Amino acid sequence: MMLTLTDLLVASIALAVPVLVAASGELVGERAGVLTMSVEGMMLTGAFAAVVGATSSGSALVGVACGALAGLLVGVLQAVLSVTLRADQIVTGIAANALALAGTTFGARLLLERGTEVPGFARVAVPVLSEIPVIGPVLFRQTGLAYALIATVVVLGVLTSRRTGWGLAVDAAGEDAASADRSGIAVLRVRFGAVLVVGLLSGLAGTQLALSEVHTFTDNMTAGVGYLAVVAVIAGSWRPVGVAVAALVFGLAQALQFTLPALGVDVPFALLVMLPYVLALLAVAGLVSHSRPPSGLTKPFVRLGRAT
Amino acid sequence: MTAPLSSPTAATTGPGPSARPGSRSAPPRPPGPAARPARGATGDRLRSLAPVLVPLAAVLGALAISTVLAVLAGATPAEAAAALWEGMVGTPYAIGSSVNVAAVLLLVATGFLVAHRAGLVNVGGEGQICLGAVGATAVGTMLPASVPAVLTLPLVLLVAALCGAAWGSIAAGLAVRRGVSEVITTLLLNFVGAAVLVLAVHEEALLRQPVTSSETLPQSAPLVEAAHLPLLGVPDSPATVAVVLALAAAAVASLVLRRTATGIRLAAVGQSRPAALRLGVPVDRLRFSALTTAGAGAGLAGGVLVASAPHVLDDGLSSGYGFSGLVVGLLARGSFTAAVGIATALGFLVSGGINLQLAAGVPASITQITESLIIIGVAGTAIWSVRRSRTRRRAAPRTALGSTATARTEVSS
Repeated sequence: MMLTLTDLLVASIALAVPVLVAASGELVGERAGVLTMSVEGMMLTGAFAAVVGATSSGSALVGVACGALAGLLVGVLQAVLSVTLRADQIVTGIAANALALAGTTFGARLLLERGTEVPGFARVAVPVLSEIPVIGPVLFRQTGLAYALIATVVVLGVLTSRRTGWGLAVDAAGEDAASADRSGIAVLRVRFGAVLVVGLLSGLAGTQLALSEVHTFTDNMTAGVGYLAVVAVIAGSWRPVGVAVAALVFGLAQALQFTLPALGVDVPFALLVMLPYVLALLAVAGLVSHSRPPSGLTKPFVRLGRAT
Repeated sequence: MTAPLSSPTAATTGPGPSARPGSRSAPPRPPGPAARPARGATGDRLRSLAPVLVPLAAVLGALAISTVLAVLAGATPAEAAAALWEGMVGTPYAIGSSVNVAAVLLLVATGFLVAHRAGLVNVGGEGQICLGAVGATAVGTMLPASVPAVLTLPLVLLVAALCGAAWGSIAAGLAVRRGVSEVITTLLLNFVGAAVLVLAVHEEALLRQPVTSSETLPQSAPLVEAAHLPLLGVPDSPATVAVVLALAAAAVASLVLRRTATGIRLAAVGQSRPAALRLGVPVDRLRFSALTTAGAGAGLAGGVLVASAPHVLDDGLSSGYGFSGLVVGLLARGSFTAAVGIATALGFLVSGGINLQLAAGVPASITQITESLIIIGVAGTAIWSVRRSRTRRRAAPRTALGSTATARTEVSS
């Protein structure tokens, strides 16, 4: 029993890391007032670019750079649409996801060969600490990329906390863009930057999924994880700790897919597949938390006159 | 550089800018090209044509990018065009299957437009199609033989619509009762709905055909003969009466929205919920019914899909029809006539795309690339095309492709 619990937790953390990384980016974006629905597309593009980069160069690190860059590029597209062109954030976000899904499927036919070895990241056991029962394997036997990404998330959390100028600027732009503008904050620049952060982190999240976990690219390999990241922000009440907890819960829900059948529990696979999304529905339905989104969420900012 | 900001164009963007400091008539970053001046009369004329020209340019741009991609995939433009044409209208079979796809898209889009009139965006077509298909299959495979054949097909389609409506009503209930954005919930329900379909076709206790060997595919048994959609009767064409059904649904929806009090009330809700409420309009009930109707439209589309050849339910049933239907609905901007045209165009594009893969070796996902580029292009250029029409004619719901103001500021309660 101990062993299987450990297995479940190991799988949960492994699946929670991409959600956590993407969600912490999305948190910054939403706090700045931009709802980025294209996290899913950014992750998928990141995963695709990471695999292409890693296979063509033979280096996993080049893969990470490609994945991050690809996510950033989708971020630029989304930022131009949401911030500069003031387009409908939800519609363009979903369209960007469809574009990423079709584009990576298209690209995979052209650029990727089945069965090629993809350079990736192996699990690194931290000496001594990884020997602790249960906690050891769960926390101290992740891949190098996972450690680096968790560190990135923590650094981002600190940099954009409400104790820094950046964090305050982000919150001001999201809560009351007009007042923020009057007090000298470059609202559009803050928002544009925040969407780029979403893109960068989502691209890295996709990279983690492709190079640390799956070690290959398959069509639609994110399969909705990006939407879980968006929901994790809502379920976590726009607070970093809450978001992290939500990401862990989603990770656990996904991990059950693999662990329960291994335990011999006879549950139809499809029921386990839908579990994270049912949880996500319950979360957005307000059964988990009652909180208020940033007031300016999805409202574009125009300096002349009112925001349309 | 102060001239642009005091041009008539800028002045029409809304009531006076209360927050604008007088000393900053030339801000360092102008808020986008929308505020640039129209240059003289020609510019004005161009501007009034913008609602037509800008989306058209977006569509052409998307097609141009797709052509480049087809070339990258190794097809010459001539080859690709020939394959696309062949797949769209080359044979009676091609035309028939394009029309069938168009019918499915029109059904989804019709539902979408009804909900959109009330200011709701139904992104859940995919899940609603899945549920409709599951319901239709359940009825179509398990109906006792005593039921008269005449009733079978209507019953199958009715159950499909009801299942889709039920799926839509989950999101509708959450939107009305708890103020949760229907975009997020319908989106999540897509994943759950797709899993329900997979569950249904993988479990023998549910809809899977009896497993006789290890090669039995995870799909349902075929629907009984009486549940098959009749063909239109065009020689060599697989076109079914679905197209008649879809056109009828669109016509009815259009009549209801335009000519009935319910239609006016829905539009009122879509324009301004507080105002509609003050006029005594039952806002919650209308919003609930509108989104449920959208679910019924997509559910019916799912029923049509299983009632067409090969008359079985499998997990690849709805390959993106939900999204394509949404594309049709968004591009139609509230007009059912436009929806018919766009659904036809996309239907042909989708069928053509399949042949593009078979004949020219270009991956079929190129049609989805084109569709999403069109949406990005049209939605991204809304500041040039939508505002003008909005100031002139306030009848269209604000949620079109432009920015939404009130309808979805709350993501969660």
